Amino acid sequence: MTTHFDEEDEGREPDFALDDPLTVILRPSSAEYLGPPPGRYESIRRGAHRRRLLRAAAGAGATCAVLVLAALPFRLAHHDAPVTPTVPLAPPPASSSPAPTTPPATQAPTPSADPSRTSAPTTEPSRIPTASASASASAASTARSVAPSAVPTRTR
Amino acid sequence: MLKRSRERAASELFAAVYPRLAGWCRRLVDDDETAHEIASEAFTRLWARWTKVAEPRGFLYVTAANLVRDHWRKLERERRAVRRATTEEAIRPPTEQTDPSVRLLVQSLPERLRVPILLHYYADMPIREVSVLTGRKEGTIKADLHAARELLRAHLRRSLDHTL
Repeated sequence: MTTHFDEEDEGREPDFALDDPLTVILRPSSAEYLGPPPGRYESIRRGAHRRRLLRAAAGAGATCAVLVLAALPFRLAHHDAPVTPTVPLAPPPASSSPAPTTPPATQAPTPSADPSRTSAPTTEPSRIPTASASASASAASTARSVAPSAVPTRTR
Repeated sequence: MLKRSRERAASELFAAVYPRLAGWCRRLVDDDETAHEIASEAFTRLWARWTKVAEPRGFLYVTAANLVRDHWRKLERERRAVRRATTEEAIRPPTEQTDPSVRLLVQSLPERLRVPILLHYYADMPIREVSVLTGRKEGTIKADLHAARELLRAHLRRSLDHTL
């Protein structure tokens, strides 16, 4: 089947007969122009500008989301990787300095460090040092030093 | 500078094409306001992607035709809903103020034939430009135009016979 072209001259439309109903369709008369309402051009331009901005923002957001999604596995993989074991600190060699010389017990509250006790009621001042927690070495030594002095008094 | 020249080109295009495009839409829809809405939407879509459109006139007409078809579909859905809601059989469909012949053009032609008709006859594009825009050979465009005209003629004849 051969197709008949009735328009061959430089891409121009064919000449329709005036009674051809196609003329009505394909050749709208100039009377059918519809002028734009006032301000329509500006409103269309504004709308197009807004739409362009929205599209750009959406594009940027999508790009960021894709980048984040792409980077996330790497980041998670980095976090999940087994931590390289750190070499434990070696115990101090035996020949080194001995254990701490000042045990915490020695730094326990001493009578002098407790001002409230020193300023305690003075009804029995002599008993307080011996009854108190005399774990400190100094207190013990003073007690011992007092004892010999009492012995001779009895012998006399 | 570039922005100013682009603005001037947009303004010139609007002045040259809008009245004709809106008038064409007016033949297809029921009222002036809808025609303005469709023409405005076509221009908005054009300018939202201004730099990417090679042939603005063609883009405008094809976009407007698609919008008109969407409008018809929406109207048809509404009518069906009304018909369902009011079971009245004798309900009269809204009076059609559209030009049936132009409506036929947009409604009856398949897209493959409709686009060349729109571009060539309404957007005033020579066949060469239509061919470039649609990516088809000039011979194919001519054949499509011919087929579209024959189809329209047949439809028109049938509708005329129907009314007589």
